[in-house]
Amino acid sequence: MSRGPAAPAFPEDEVRRRARSGAAAAFPAAEDYGRVLFGAAPAAGPEDGLDRMRLVPPVFMADRLKKLIELGREPMYDDVELTTGIGGFTAALPVYVSALGSTSAAGGDLGLALSRQAARLGLPMVIGENVVPVHGYGRLEGPETPGTPDAPDVRQGPGGGLPTTLLGRLRAYAGELPDGLGGLAVQQSTEDADAEVWNLVYSDPAARPLLDSGRLAFELKTGQGAKPGLGGMTVLDTAAAARFGDRYGLDAAALGGRHVLRSSSPGTFTAEILRQQIRLMRNNFPRARVWVKLHPGRDVAEAARVAVAAGADAVTVDGAEGGTGWAPVAFAGRVGLPLAACLRRLAADPPPCLLVSGRMWEGARAVKSLALGARAVGLGRAALLAVAEDPEQGLIRFAECLALEMRLLVSALGKYSPDALDQQDVWSPEGD
Amino acid sequence: MNHDTPAAPPSPPEPRTHLTSPATRSTLRIQNRLIAAAREYLTAAGFTELLPPVVGPVTDPGSRGSKQVDIDFYGHRYKLMTSAILYKQASLLAFDKIFCIAPNVRLEPLETADTDRHLAEFHQLDVEMAGADRDRITGLVEELVVHMVRTTRDALPADFELLGRDTDAFTELLRGSFGRRTHAEAVAELRTVGHDQNPDAEIDWAGEALLSAKAGRPFFVTDYPKGSRGFYDRESRTEPGVLRNFDLIAPEGYGELCSGSERTNDYAQIVTRMRETGENPQKYRWYLDLVREGVPASAGFGIGVERLTRYVAGRDAVWQASAFPKLPGVVSP
Repeated sequence: MSRGPAAPAFPEDEVRRRARSGAAAAFPAAEDYGRVLFGAAPAAGPEDGLDRMRLVPPVFMADRLKKLIELGREPMYDDVELTTGIGGFTAALPVYVSALGSTSAAGGDLGLALSRQAARLGLPMVIGENVVPVHGYGRLEGPETPGTPDAPDVRQGPGGGLPTTLLGRLRAYAGELPDGLGGLAVQQSTEDADAEVWNLVYSDPAARPLLDSGRLAFELKTGQGAKPGLGGMTVLDTAAAARFGDRYGLDAAALGGRHVLRSSSPGTFTAEILRQQIRLMRNNFPRARVWVKLHPGRDVAEAARVAVAAGADAVTVDGAEGGTGWAPVAFAGRVGLPLAACLRRLAADPPPCLLVSGRMWEGARAVKSLALGARAVGLGRAALLAVAEDPEQGLIRFAECLALEMRLLVSALGKYSPDALDQQDVWSPEGD
Repeated sequence: MNHDTPAAPPSPPEPRTHLTSPATRSTLRIQNRLIAAAREYLTAAGFTELLPPVVGPVTDPGSRGSKQVDIDFYGHRYKLMTSAILYKQASLLAFDKIFCIAPNVRLEPLETADTDRHLAEFHQLDVEMAGADRDRITGLVEELVVHMVRTTRDALPADFELLGRDTDAFTELLRGSFGRRTHAEAVAELRTVGHDQNPDAEIDWAGEALLSAKAGRPFFVTDYPKGSRGFYDRESRTEPGVLRNFDLIAPEGYGELCSGSERTNDYAQIVTRMRETGENPQKYRWYLDLVREGVPASAGFGIGVERLTRYVAGRDAVWQASAFPKLPGVVSP
């Protein structure tokens, strides 16, 4: 089994263990029970503001009493109902799979396996920008740059299966989706607008089952957590780069002789540009949901307000801890608001459907995010690593573990659905 | 015409049956007369007919989710024209008043296959006039449409008879004063009858059919909100967010016949509006270079030739007004 991509800045081993062991990974090894003395341990890895917060169950639990009366017995953690409405879709958990764009780590079999497992779990999934220019759409044409490091010639998918084009990923996802659950959100970057990705998907017969069942969204992206203020970046070999010259910024000097840095433009936004783009999306695609993804900018609360007022069904905030892709070293840990700070700024006037991502991999970080105003959390690197660990069951086992942790934590707070969580459930060392 | 029955009209038959049908022939004769009348009228009014380009590096970004057709132009991605709009503005550098009858290709969303009003390939009678404002250009639409319909009605009584089209239906139209209401008024009207029209968007198909069915004469809907139209429709200087544009809606449930507007011709405004409509200014290079140096202020419109024909001939579906109809998603000659 190939290990797939590595994620050194991420609790990769823990994620892979969950992908192998499922729910059992939520606990210490069962064979240690009665033999090892456990207790609170200091954090193993680097911590951010959200990690330093704690969930704080109260002693008195009025909601637990309500549940007790409803059930006629003491409620347990498996009484927590995790089904959640996410941006017009229904998800089996308050979880979605974040955009993995043209990053070659999500290409090939991995992207398809991810699509299939996310669908089987009934989790919404975002297909990132720049997939069409890099991997192709998948109808008549193949990728525009066959044979680049970014886009191995994948017109025919590996093993003769579905290709990793946008349409291939869409079919892989739609083909495994249970009735009434999940949904697909498709991004379009400024450069994607040339390929008219949204128009293409909206008018394609393959997308019709998703449209007819209300499970297609388009996500407008203003930026990303890993490099706020910049657009997507990819590394091309010099020979392949020429083909993109008229649509992307290319920097031949940045990476030495053999590689060329291709940068998408981040796109220019003002409040009016964001407002009107959202309105145009609603005008042009009345049967699709509109999602808006914001980078962790200092005006994230104002941007979220504009998006909601213009009719966005969901606002996604990608904390500065997020990102699967390639980013300049100067940006890692130095640019953009951490997710905890974004949540604080959004708390005064939270979007009705706030989705957050940024280093999500275990239940406590997810439940804290939900308590601080998020409707659902996005899995990026964790989802990719889980699928890389086991292309058949990795994400499914990982999600089983995450769901168990969420049920344990939510019930410990005396609550039985994620929407009952609130700020009081979280204690911050900075505020107390 | 009855919008209550959900049953779709028949799909296009194979070409021989369609082309030899007396109803098709009468419909196409009506279309031919309408076009001839438009040429007479516009030429007499000092307009020059230009032959429109079919391909170019960029075309009208359009709206409502239709996809452009890409073609390989010696290794460059070119587009089949979805409308002549960019060239219409540019053409004013040659003449102050121009028109053309332009073929357009739009891969419309599949949901439009049964609106009776969408073709993937259709023609537009495009008119552009330097120095005109909206009042001037809607006045021209009125005079032009009256002339086209009157000439055709008088010339082809046997064809109207064969199609069972009662030409008394045009009595109000031929009086020449079309109705006018703003988009906001149309939204309010739809909401009072329980139709949940989005106030920030185009009037949706069902809403348009409702308004059209109630009308006894053609009417203009003006002042669409920004966010429902392309960057080339000019924003009001006095009412931000409102466009100086219009649609012409036919009575009897036939729906939209024509769209038009005063044009944005200020470079900075065009670039900003491109961003507001999610476009990449990079690909509009030739157009932006031209606008940066200056193009005349203008107003113009495009009349859907097959739609107007369908309305005048009283046919059930717009494909019946095309010799070789192409419905969205339907493979046909």
